[in-house]
Amino acid sequence: MSSHREAPEISKDPVADSSDLYAFVSPDKPDTVTIIANYVPLQLPASGPNFFEFGDDVLYEIHVDSNGDGRPDLTYQFRFRTELRNNRTFLYNTGQIKSLDDKNWNRRQFFSVTKVDAHGKHTVLHSKLPCPPCNVGKISIPDYEKLAEDAVHKLKTGETVFAGQRADAFFVDLGAIFDLGTLRPFEDKHLIGKTLFKGAGKAVNATDQLNVHSIAIQLPLSAVRKDGKKSVRGRDPGAVIGVWTTASRRQVEVRHGDKKNADVEVGPQVQVSRLGNPLFNEVIVPMAQKDLWNSLPPTEDKRFAEFVEQPELGALLPVLYPGLFDNLAALNKAKTPRADLVAILLTGIPDGIIDNFQNFTGETQADMLRLNTVVPPSKEPNAFGILGGDLAGFPNGRRIEDDVVSISLRAIAGVTVPLVDEKFKPDAAAALVEQGLSAKDLSSKPLKKFPFLGTPFDGFDNPS
Amino acid sequence: MSRVHYGTKAVNRFSRRRVLTVAGAVGVGAATVGVAGLSLAGESSSNDTAPLVISLRDAKKGTFDVFSGESKVTLTDKKLALRLLKAVKRA
Repeated sequence: MSSHREAPEISKDPVADSSDLYAFVSPDKPDTVTIIANYVPLQLPASGPNFFEFGDDVLYEIHVDSNGDGRPDLTYQFRFRTELRNNRTFLYNTGQIKSLDDKNWNRRQFFSVTKVDAHGKHTVLHSKLPCPPCNVGKISIPDYEKLAEDAVHKLKTGETVFAGQRADAFFVDLGAIFDLGTLRPFEDKHLIGKTLFKGAGKAVNATDQLNVHSIAIQLPLSAVRKDGKKSVRGRDPGAVIGVWTTASRRQVEVRHGDKKNADVEVGPQVQVSRLGNPLFNEVIVPMAQKDLWNSLPPTEDKRFAEFVEQPELGALLPVLYPGLFDNLAALNKAKTPRADLVAILLTGIPDGIIDNFQNFTGETQADMLRLNTVVPPSKEPNAFGILGGDLAGFPNGRRIEDDVVSISLRAIAGVTVPLVDEKFKPDAAAALVEQGLSAKDLSSKPLKKFPFLGTPFDGFDNPS
Repeated sequence: MSRVHYGTKAVNRFSRRRVLTVAGAVGVGAATVGVAGLSLAGESSSNDTAPLVISLRDAKKGTFDVFSGESKVTLTDKKLALRLLKAVKRA
């Protein structure tokens, strides 16, 4: 998956597990950028009586690098606190929830927003904002959309923020892909699949009808650009930002295990989860180093560059799909470092390689979601992003409808090699390979306005 | 894990009182301290009732990590380390 349970340790700590990160120039307000970080993945809608929530003991952060050094120039911190109205009931709600302060809503969650500038100065923008409830069901919550709208908060400092449950918009055929790299549309071409299947199969979205908890922020482009520029040329390095999200826990936790003494969390924050580009830790970093990667800042990513230059998946494709990726196999055999993938994932794409586009942040190799903020939103987005001729899509930031799995597959299969080596001819299959899904397969449609992710699936209508 | 806050105020379920977990025979405050609870906005305040945890990282050298608020301080005290080891019957 993009980053759902992507590393051994964080897969056991879902509350702190970042699953997807989106960053795009807002289509409804093109003078702003929207950043969405999803956590607490793979939520079954019918999860009462203890519905999902953010961790009160987790520090969630969204970072923006404005000058290409892989370090945050702007960070937004989100902290949560859960409150109970009634400690004599086992119920999440004791009646219908019709407002964010409804007395029937027993277990509520609030969050604070703190801004940290490049000099480390912390400014609390708001100390207590309500999250919406989880989508229990239409009996308990007759108008969920209104509650969610009420939970969109405009801050006096210019930011719009939201934190709460949404439908997971990531689409992936997880069951097939991690069954020895099977792509159902090509299952009859698979090394083993060809002995089992007589034709193409239909992909299945494994993350459909599941929810996540989203932290979304929309802020002026000038707030994220270097030197706070309102206007900048697309070729200007100051047009590009790098975005990533992290979750951290206190270094020490003491569980007393009795009623007299509450548990203690103390000490420095220790990063336990990180996400920039989708699938980086998932399919680039070896399993033995995934937990380490999650603990490091992007400035340390040079140590993982070898896995970008020689991606394991690139070596597997010619083996799993015999005869379809011969040119890729030859490239692999020559041990040619994949400069195209290094550019896409670690430095950004320099000017002059793609017409009228760059999202280069310099020589510092860092996994960040890079967005050229000058590229306007597309009127008709192409799910294949830049590979589909749509400069407003991944890997220029990431939109909700971008098919990052297929884009990544095609890039690793070799379609982006000609960006750095004109003599290389990609295999015909490289431009065709895909997982066979799109945003049209999402049962909960993305919104056309902030926070963009669709209404979370409710427990009553999605009981299993 | 998470502390739940009852009512509308971030009132701790328990009184702010010091609790010594390793005391008695050695009289040492290698301890956790009564919970003050984080403010929603972020950092915990520094005061003498805030949580404090001491970890003996290297018994031979007497190296301690002292966790307080969002910080960690390292100090060396061989005598204290020896007293602690005796207290837990490791010396």
